[in-house]
Amino acid sequence: MSSTSGVRPTKGYLMEMQRSIVFIERGTEFLKLKRDHLAKELSESIEVLRGRRRLLLESLGEAYKAVQAAYLSLGPTEVESQANSIRSTLDIDLLPKSVMGVQYPYIKILNKPKIEGELDITLSYASDKVYSILEEIIRLAEFESRVERIADELGRTNRKVNALENTVIPDMKAVIKYIQDKLDEEQMEDLVRIKLIGGALASEK
Amino acid sequence: MRTIASTDSVEDFISQIAQTPYGQVTLEPDVNPSISLERVFYRKFIERIVKIVDIVPSDIGDLLQTYYYMRFETLNLDRIIRGKFSDATPAEIQANLVPMMPYRAPSYQALSEAADIDALLELLKGTAYNPIAEKLSVYKQYDAIWPLQLELQHIYSLTILRRVEKLPRSQRRMVSKIVELEADIENFLIAVKQSRAPKEGEGFKPEEMFDATYGISKDILHMVVEGADLRDSVESLGEPFSSILAPMYEGDVALIRTNLRSQIHRTVNEARAGNDFGFNTIMAYLVFSELEKDDLVGIAWAKEQGLQGEEFIKYLVVPNVS
Repeated sequence: MSSTSGVRPTKGYLMEMQRSIVFIERGTEFLKLKRDHLAKELSESIEVLRGRRRLLLESLGEAYKAVQAAYLSLGPTEVESQANSIRSTLDIDLLPKSVMGVQYPYIKILNKPKIEGELDITLSYASDKVYSILEEIIRLAEFESRVERIADELGRTNRKVNALENTVIPDMKAVIKYIQDKLDEEQMEDLVRIKLIGGALASEK
Repeated sequence: MRTIASTDSVEDFISQIAQTPYGQVTLEPDVNPSISLERVFYRKFIERIVKIVDIVPSDIGDLLQTYYYMRFETLNLDRIIRGKFSDATPAEIQANLVPMMPYRAPSYQALSEAADIDALLELLKGTAYNPIAEKLSVYKQYDAIWPLQLELQHIYSLTILRRVEKLPRSQRRMVSKIVELEADIENFLIAVKQSRAPKEGEGFKPEEMFDATYGISKDILHMVVEGADLRDSVESLGEPFSSILAPMYEGDVALIRTNLRSQIHRTVNEARAGNDFGFNTIMAYLVFSELEKDDLVGIAWAKEQGLQGEEFIKYLVVPNVS
């Protein structure tokens, strides 16, 4: 369907369209700025994420070795018996946070489990290692969620910009041109009519 | 043992075990394979003890029964206490017990069904574990079970040491060395653990912790609890403690127990060297069997985790001493 079908070729409508297109073009520029900031934020975040994941994997490797050693030293039944005896738990709360209008979850640690004195020393060492990276695991999960949502928002923003630049604005410009052409045409017809009438009147005299 | 440690999976492990005197083993349904295998190895080891006890003179048989059955029973009581402390159900507690009949304790079912730790300790009154009830106030003061666990270890050590007094000196020495060494190392590890835990305010009293010490004095243990330099403390102990505890410097505390078991292997091997037929040989056979059991339990777990032999072999004893 043509973008000009159903268009009223009037001066009032033309002015309305011209105001709208200015507004939309300005909005498109802001969206492009947002897109560029999001893209920059995303690429920086991905680099940071890679680094943090690499470090965490190393720490997890060490923690896992300590857990392995505890199992080999004590046997699986003893480890499970001791692990099940930890009474306190990790309590967290999920709160919303926002960056550039993008919401992502922030994990607030309300209570960390108390493990001192209740485990055999081998398991205590292993749990210390896991415990020391627990917060890092939580922050990394938060960061990954943030990066994912920034990526989603970047995609959405990019689609909006593309739609505006490639469809909406050209259509509006086409409508404006159509109206202008129609108005010019009418003006020309009026002028010709006036000249004809003037010529006719002059010849009558 | 190295061949068994190099198997590729739990199934391979089981088929290798089938070719040994352990024979075919069957996994329990709906139970974690490594835990099921641990129970199998414990049962096989207890069967071995029973066979030995049946054929040796009664005084030796009594000592062996006390040494091993009370050892496993101490482990069971430890797990029952832990279970009650953490509000585990009786079924959960009993699922973690070494598969054996009660030896000096009342029924494990009754103990695991006790309402709380107070009721549990009440049930142990009048038994060989009676002294543990005296630690109830310390348990309540710290709201922790380590005073009870320590007391259990002390009851076991003292019981065995009193029993071996009846043996000839050459036989007494081997058992005493093992029991005292194990108690000393466990005391030291508990002291290190307590040094890392937050102290319970002004009420914390290190002198309440160690009722029985042997090669490692209470003074050193108290210094460790109070945060003394570990390297200095360990080096001041001399051999064999300094070798056994050396992995602590690298933070590999699990290797300490491997070193302890290796030292026990050496002690027993030296003791039996002079006599191929006496008590020392019988005891050596059972000690080696127990070390083998512990290694097999570790390998079973490692296979379940898909670990290759070289990743865990340093924590085994038998492949590294033979």
